[in-house]
Amino acid sequence: MIAWYDTNIILIQSTFVGLLMALSLQVPIRFGVFSFAGIGCYGIGAYVAAIMTIRYEWPAVAAIGAGMLIAGVVGYLLALTVRRLGGLYLGMATIAFDLIVGVLAVNGGDLTGGPSGLFGALADVTTLHLVLISAVVVGLLAYSERGAIGRRVEAVREDPELAASMGIDVRRHRQAAFVISALLGACAGGLNVLLRTTIAPTDIGFSLVVLALTMIIVGGSRSWAGALIGAMIFTWLPSFLEFSGQWQKVIYGVIVALAAIWVPGGLLGMMTDAYRSWQRSRRDAGSGDGDRTPLGSRAEGTPA
Amino acid sequence: MLQDLINALSLGSIYLLFALGMSLVWGTVGILNFAHGAIFMFAAFVSSIITDQVRLPLPALIVIGAAVGALLSVAVQMLAFQPIMRRAKDHRSGEMQILIGGIGVAAIPLAIAEEVTGSNPFGFAGSSYVTSTFSLLGVRVTSTQLMVVAAALVIGIGVIVWLRFSRSGLALRSIGVDPETASLMGVNRRVLSLSTMAVAGGLAGLAGVLLTYNLGAITPESGDVLLIKAFAAVILGGVGSMAGVIVGAYVLAAAETIVLTQTSGLWVDAVSFGFIFAVLLFKSEGLFGRREVRRT
Repeated sequence: MIAWYDTNIILIQSTFVGLLMALSLQVPIRFGVFSFAGIGCYGIGAYVAAIMTIRYEWPAVAAIGAGMLIAGVVGYLLALTVRRLGGLYLGMATIAFDLIVGVLAVNGGDLTGGPSGLFGALADVTTLHLVLISAVVVGLLAYSERGAIGRRVEAVREDPELAASMGIDVRRHRQAAFVISALLGACAGGLNVLLRTTIAPTDIGFSLVVLALTMIIVGGSRSWAGALIGAMIFTWLPSFLEFSGQWQKVIYGVIVALAAIWVPGGLLGMMTDAYRSWQRSRRDAGSGDGDRTPLGSRAEGTPA
Repeated sequence: MLQDLINALSLGSIYLLFALGMSLVWGTVGILNFAHGAIFMFAAFVSSIITDQVRLPLPALIVIGAAVGALLSVAVQMLAFQPIMRRAKDHRSGEMQILIGGIGVAAIPLAIAEEVTGSNPFGFAGSSYVTSTFSLLGVRVTSTQLMVVAAALVIGIGVIVWLRFSRSGLALRSIGVDPETASLMGVNRRVLSLSTMAVAGGLAGLAGVLLTYNLGAITPESGDVLLIKAFAAVILGGVGSMAGVIVGAYVLAAAETIVLTQTSGLWVDAVSFGFIFAVLLFKSEGLFGRREVRRT
C-alpha cells in the first residue's frame, strides 16, 4: 500500500487537483450557466500563488489565498460584464477570457516569466492538505446539492423565469456561480503550482479547457461525484492505456467522442439510471408475488 | 507598408476560406462545428501523405484535400451531430452538446496526425508545384498568395450569390429561419444539412491545402488556432451573414497585422480573443448580423 502510494504520488495529487478543476467548470453548469471561466481563474490562481511564493516568500496558505481572492474578484467582475450573454455565446466569451489570461501570462515580462513561465515555487504543501481541502470542498458542494439550496439551484438551471416568479434571485445565483467557479479554479491552480513548483502559459491553454470539460462530460455534470469519476478516469487512463502504446491518444479521443454523443448524463447518470431501473424491477417483481393490480403496476411502470 | 497590406490580404483570405464553411453551417443548419479545425488539418495531412508517395501537381492536391474534408465533415454530421440532435430535448441543450461533441470528435483526427508525424510540421515536399515569387514596386508576392486571395474572394462571393439567388440557397436560408415550416414546404432538411456540411468540409480542406502551400508546412495543432480566429471573424461579421464573415476575416487579419508590426508579436493572439469578447459584449449580433430570434 505504502509502496503503491509512493510510486503513484504524482497521479494521486493530479486526481485531486483535477477534481477541483473539473468542479470549477461543473458548478456553473449546475447553475445553468455555460461558463468556462474557471480555467482562466485556474491560471490566475496558479500565477498569483507562484509569484507570491517566489518573489515575496509568502507562506502557502497566504499565496493560494491571494490567488483565490484576486480570481474571485475577477470572476465577480466577469459575471457583471457578461450578464447579458447566454448559451453558446457565453461559453465562447468565457473561452476567450481563458485564452486572454494565457496571452497576459506570455506578455507579463519579468512578473510572469514570459513564454517560459515561472520556476521554483517551493512550498510546504503536502498531499494531506490537498485531500483535506478537496474533502471540505466536496462536503460543501454535496450540501448545496440537497434540500432547499439544491432545489433552488435546480430551479435556476431548468427554468429561470419560473425560479424568478417563485422569489428566487436568479441574478444573484448566477453571480454566485461565477464566483464559486473562480474560487475553485484558483484554488486548484494555486495548489497545483505549489506541488509542481512550475507554471508556464502552455499549461493553461485551450487543451486544459478541453481536459476539464471531458472530465465532466464523461463523469457526469449533475453532481460532484461525476466530477470525481471523470477526474479519476482521465488522470489514470493514460497509465492504463500504456499497453496500447502509440495509439493511446486516439483511444482517448474515441472515448471522449462516444461519451459526448451517446452518454450525455455521463457515467454517473448511467449508473443512477441503471440503479433506478434495477430498483424498479425488483419492486415490480416483489409486488408481483402478492395481489398485483394491473393499475398499480402500470403507474409504477410509467417513465419518470 | 504595401508589403503589410499584401500580407494582411493573404492572411485574411486564409481566415475567410476557413471561416466561410463554419459560418455557412452555423448560420443555416445551426451547428457550431468545433471539429472544423480538425477537418481542415486532416485534409492537408492526408494530402501530404499522398504526395509523399506520388508526385502530384497542385490542382490534384486541392481536389484530394477538398474531397477528404467533405467526407470527414459528412461523417462527423452523420455519426456525431445527427444522433445528438435526435436525442436532445430542446434546441438549447442540443447546441451545448454539439459544441462538446465537436470537441470530442476533433480529438481523434488530431491524435492520428500527431501520432504519425510525431507532432512535427508536415508539408508538400513531394508536390510538383513550386511557389514562384514576383517582385513588384519593391513588394514581394508569391504565386500561392495570389491564388489564396483569388480563391477566397471568388468562393466568398460565389457563396453569397448562391445563397441569395438559387433555389437551394433559398431552401438553406429557410432552414436557418424556421426549420419546421421549411420542412412543411417540402425542404428536405436531412439531405440539405448533409450537403451543406459537405460543402463546408470541402472548403476547410481547400483552405488546409492552400495554407500548407502558403506556409510551406503546418503542425497538427494549427487547426485549433484557426478555429478560434474563424470564430472571431464570424462573430465580428455577424452569425448567418456571409458578407459579414468576409468583412470579419479581413478586419481581423488587418488588426493582427497592425499588432504584429507595431509590437513584439506576442500580443497577436489577444486580438482575436479581444474581438470575440468585445463584440459579444457590445454588439452581440455583429456588424452585419440579424438579431437572433429565439424560437420556442
